[in-house]
Amino acid sequence: MSGLGYTLPAIVSVVAVCVLELAVLRTGLFRSTAYWISMVIVLGWQIPIDGWLTKLSAPIVIYQDKHTSGLRFPWDIPVEDFLFGWALVTAVLLLWVKQGQVKQGQKSGTRR
Amino acid sequence: MSDKWQYLLLLGGCVLITLPLEFFGEGIYRQPVRLLRALTPVLAVFLVWDAIAIAHEVWHYNPKYVSGINVPFMPLEELLFFIVIPLCGLLTYNAVTACLGIISRLRKRTEDAARSSR
Repeated sequence: MSGLGYTLPAIVSVVAVCVLELAVLRTGLFRSTAYWISMVIVLGWQIPIDGWLTKLSAPIVIYQDKHTSGLRFPWDIPVEDFLFGWALVTAVLLLWVKQGQVKQGQKSGTRR
Repeated sequence: MSDKWQYLLLLGGCVLITLPLEFFGEGIYRQPVRLLRALTPVLAVFLVWDAIAIAHEVWHYNPKYVSGINVPFMPLEELLFFIVIPLCGLLTYNAVTACLGIISRLRKRTEDAARSSR
């Protein structure tokens, strides 16, 4: 269980997304209520869907044990999946919101 | 139905369930350029990560539950996963943002009405 193959990159992806927001994009998404409500909804769907994909009784995705922490919760979902999923969805949301802000900025710029 | 469509059907279900959320606000599918610009860079990074993980056998896919249609380095389903899941996230965020907007407008209207009746 080195965790190198999945655990480490999963943690790195979360850190990278945080750095992307806090140092580069600065959209303020993490301070928005809509974002956190959305994350709760996404998490609510991730559990049954990911649970189905990773259930050990009939798995669709099979992980090599030595590359994960071995922590599987709830059901058989490798906890790394939650980091991976958060980074994936949040990164796209950040780029989406950033473009909206740029557009808004251009609009108010031309009005001046 | 054969089990090999399981992963594909799961993704299809995700697309169908989130489809009505498009009706909220400015939508996601109705802004295809913005969608592509948000999705493509993230897709590229995650596909490289996925291809490396598959090559190093960090994870693999149960041939029983995938279509057998392959794109370079991975099953078709896995490529679609990286498009479908962020789309669901965007549609959710779009709908939540629109709902919060509606709620705050309603609240403002009742406050204004209460003020003017005073």
